[in-house]
Amino acid sequence: MIELQNIFYEYSKGWPRKQHQIVLSDISVKLCMGKTFGLMGHSGTGKTTLGKIVVGLIKPYLGKISFHGKDISQLASPDWLFFRRKVQMLFQDPQGSLNPKKRIDASLRDILNITKIPFNQQKQAIEDVLKTVGLSTDFLLRYPAQLSGGQNQRISLARILLLKPEFIVLDEPTSALDISVQAQILFLLRELQKNHGLGYLFISHDPEVIQYMSHSIGILKDGNLDIIQEG
Amino acid sequence: MKDLIFQRKKYFTRIGGFLFILFLLIAIFSHFIAPFQLRDRFDPFLPPGLKHLLGTNDIGNDLFTEFVYGSRTTLLVGLLTGAFAVSIGVLVGLFAGYHGGVIDELLMGITDVVLIIPRIPLIIVLSAFLRPSVGLMILVMSILWWTSTARIIRSRTMQIRSMGFVESARCLGFSSWHILFYEILPNIVMIIIPEFLITVASAMISEASLSFLGLGDPTLKSWGMMIHHAFQRGGFLNGMWWWYIPPGIGITLFVLSMVFLSFAFEETEIGIGEEVAIVPFNR
Repeated sequence: MIELQNIFYEYSKGWPRKQHQIVLSDISVKLCMGKTFGLMGHSGTGKTTLGKIVVGLIKPYLGKISFHGKDISQLASPDWLFFRRKVQMLFQDPQGSLNPKKRIDASLRDILNITKIPFNQQKQAIEDVLKTVGLSTDFLLRYPAQLSGGQNQRISLARILLLKPEFIVLDEPTSALDISVQAQILFLLRELQKNHGLGYLFISHDPEVIQYMSHSIGILKDGNLDIIQEG
Repeated sequence: MKDLIFQRKKYFTRIGGFLFILFLLIAIFSHFIAPFQLRDRFDPFLPPGLKHLLGTNDIGNDLFTEFVYGSRTTLLVGLLTGAFAVSIGVLVGLFAGYHGGVIDELLMGITDVVLIIPRIPLIIVLSAFLRPSVGLMILVMSILWWTSTARIIRSRTMQIRSMGFVESARCLGFSSWHILFYEILPNIVMIIIPEFLITVASAMISEASLSFLGLGDPTLKSWGMMIHHAFQRGGFLNGMWWWYIPPGIGITLFVLSMVFLSFAFEETEIGIGEEVAIVPFNR
């Protein structure tokens, strides 16, 4: 379980006199494995910022984030690496999430190399993960620009799955995709949750999508999180 | 617009590439191409002819042989200075742009200090006090020539740092080292190559200028040294154009090839399957 306790975050800009804008104010929420927490809110309310705080990409101004009961700011190197691999984020822009100069094969192998999977087992691992996300190995020699948005999003998901995560922050993963592809990705995400027991923080503007995906729902407004549905 | 860019790129690449390869082959195979040895002596002040394609100088050395061997020194100085200076600039720019904060301010502070050092006067002073040599020239130019590369690489790195795939790589747990050299670096190669080519051209012109001023390595033949000797030993006064015009043309054509190739890389940045993006041309 990931627990956020009294999270505050503010942006500061301007020089020489800095102006501070509070984005998140006293956010406390529990994110459980195997469940989806849907997060809604208008643009600029700090949904993505909260997502990045959950995965540890940015540090909160105040507050504590616990992963399996341990404060992530106090984690020693091996525990931090474990957290880093187990809590992942799927970004909004499918094509932008992949290095444009690398073939899909290289992007996937990079992940296998950091997880120290031997080279002779990498081919099988790639085939398995591509099968899981519903893609064939024909895509391996292509560049991200040669794939559709939906295919790129599946590749990004495949990269994350190679790390065997426990929790994924899904930052509007279908907003850049057309309706039919959206449905396929959402169905795939639910299947993965069912089969692997993954926990999700699902960020979206679309109330119907949030309703379909989530067990609990919260709305971010003026820096505060209102829980409107408990799962 | 896209066709026009491709057409220009094609011509720049062909002309620049042809000249570059031509001079490179001359430099590499100079001992096969040169008809005589550098120390061989013939009748002095001979005009161009069948035996001596560019005539002979005041002490009877064959000028075509000097031209061919001279290309070796000039290209060596240019290419080595380009390689060293661009390597320093890329490393400084990558680290400053990716890490930001104190590291950025420190590295850019050093860059600013190096940037305001007057380059040619410093080399002239050093050459006057130390024993002039090609190694010293390459070393000093490498230490001074990296600043513009560092600034350009830093700004591009700062742009790329905030892109989705870098953020994704950080989230996936890749090290800073991997992100810098395997994620960001492949995306700035198209900026590094023109920087290298322009640095090579700049170093070659500087080498020629210093050699012309008599501050080059007197034991080695270079195109700049040929012009220096023509000036010192009466080539200009006696109207012996075959002594000073060919090295001048050699320097001009090689620098032109560098500029054409850098245009070709700088004007378009094309990745496989990507749309054409025009890179700002602001050198």
